[in-house]
Amino acid sequence: MKKNNAFSKFYLFLILAFFYLPIIYVVFFSFNASRSLTNFTGFSLRWYEKMFKTRSMMESIYYSTIIAVIATIVSTIVGTIVAIGLSKSSRLIKQVVTQVNNLPMLNPDIVTAIGLMLLFSTINVPTGFGTLLLAHIMFCIPYVILSINPKLRQLDDNLAEAALDLGCTPIQALYKVIIPQIKEGIISGALVAFTMSFDDFVISYFTTGPGINNISTYVYATTKRINPSVNALSTLIVIAITLIMIVSNVVPLLRERRRKNEETA
Amino acid sequence: MKKLLSALLSVLLLSSLTGCLSNNYENGELYIYLPGEYLSDEVVEQFEYEYGVKVYVTTFDSNESMYTKLLGGTVYDLLIPSDYMIERLISEKMIQKLDKSKIPNMSAIDEAVLNMEFDPNNDYSVPYFWGNAGICYDTTQIDAEDVESEGWEVMRNTKYRGMIYMYDSIRDAFMMAEKALGYSMNTDDPDEIEKSYEWLVQIAKTMDPAYVTDEIIDGLSYGEKAMGFVYSGDASLIVAENEDMAFWAPEEGTNYFVDAMVIHKDAKNVENAHKFINYIIDYDAAFENAVFVGYTSSNAEVVRDITMEGGDYEDNDAYIPREMNKNDEVFHSNEEVLKIISELWVKVKNTK
Repeated sequence: MKKNNAFSKFYLFLILAFFYLPIIYVVFFSFNASRSLTNFTGFSLRWYEKMFKTRSMMESIYYSTIIAVIATIVSTIVGTIVAIGLSKSSRLIKQVVTQVNNLPMLNPDIVTAIGLMLLFSTINVPTGFGTLLLAHIMFCIPYVILSINPKLRQLDDNLAEAALDLGCTPIQALYKVIIPQIKEGIISGALVAFTMSFDDFVISYFTTGPGINNISTYVYATTKRINPSVNALSTLIVIAITLIMIVSNVVPLLRERRRKNEETA
Repeated sequence: MKKLLSALLSVLLLSSLTGCLSNNYENGELYIYLPGEYLSDEVVEQFEYEYGVKVYVTTFDSNESMYTKLLGGTVYDLLIPSDYMIERLISEKMIQKLDKSKIPNMSAIDEAVLNMEFDPNNDYSVPYFWGNAGICYDTTQIDAEDVESEGWEVMRNTKYRGMIYMYDSIRDAFMMAEKALGYSMNTDDPDEIEKSYEWLVQIAKTMDPAYVTDEIIDGLSYGEKAMGFVYSGDASLIVAENEDMAFWAPEEGTNYFVDAMVIHKDAKNVENAHKFINYIIDYDAAFENAVFVGYTSSNAEVVRDITMEGGDYEDNDAYIPREMNKNDEVFHSNEEVLKIISELWVKVKNTK
């Protein structure tokens, strides 16, 4: 039994190492004093300094963030409305729309990307911020719908009717009864949408236009020459995502504890 | 939750508004499309400040992906591709003739890179950076005499077995073989291609090479291997990092390349593109840009000063490509040949 335990610990360690070593490696070399990516010659912050001075790099962070935020907000709202609407639709419509919804997720990104590029160029829409944002909203919506659907299936149909019976307007019923019930689905959908948008490369690469680079398309074009500032940039992203993860996990815990305290008091 | 969302939204709105309002660029905009890490930000900012033009820089990873993007209908004002791609853009009428009266600084351009085959009168293009390819080697492990007397053949010298890098780029590998055998690097003779293939297979069989792409810069700078095929601009970085390294462009001939600025045929900001071209080849801007990029500037005076005593690339034999000799050539694209050698190259890499 004991031996088994040691083995499972070792196994866990291996898996974690496999997940995290590449990230640690990138973070480690962002502090290198020299230009090398394989040879550590001393600690320095020069690549961070260079990163903050490089305007195109800062712009790429700006565009990644703003696109991800807007795409998340829009796709969450649209996705939620579609999901709620679907739950009240006939079985046939439900099935058809669900299948249509699944298709873009299963479709390889590269096909979607080239399709979008060709579409934009055929209808003569100049690529740029607008097309990039539109593409991101497009590929985020299915994920939002997918993560809200199970919550809606658990929802009791009678709840909405009860709310209406008790004098709610339909809008109030939506806000006060349905949305709070499926809140977790909405939040997890928004989180998925945000991460999908933030780290997308393929679709962004084909739908962006002059002067608009997000982090991934920027990094891709710079890999030709060694530039440890890219490591510094990656480190910042890792820190940002870690912070988001910590906050999104710790805040509900704190809230739970407070509620319990209030109950006992 | 709702408060958070509205706060977020207002921040967004504000930032996008200030983004719109803060532009006091009275002379419009300029869209530039060029390889990554190939233009100093400070030089661009200086240009914006002096000329009142907002510059948008987008980068690409290869000439081919730039070409695809242009075919997709995206329009940039100013492009910086390489020689063979410019040739193609001219023949497909995708770029426009320059108004040379707006580029008086053209006189500062090094004659070595003017009037090249791909654009005989520089009607379409103004050289930006240039260089050649050669062998970068560790003088403590490789005999300089061997390199200089054998040229590309030194890559097959079994004395150095296990110490070499092969640059994993189809046309560069075949260029090396063809030049070593005394052919043209633009040959389409099946027999010569076959012989070049055998030359490369021989390396694969006897030299135990490592096939790498950009890791070669790091690998040579820190002595993981002792020798490899490198472009002069990358070699000047390696030599600057590690004093033991040296660069040699074989006398049997090598690839000369010129990256030049061209203006898209549908460019909306033709005037600003001319202003930028004239600005970036001027001494001050060209000097600062060259220090940042590390490739050889097209401005002759900059090259002279940067390699002088106290300059950023003092004593760096890779920074100034040796004069073009009769064996040196500029690359021309040939789809047919590329297809053949791509298949052969896969076979070379699979040879043990």
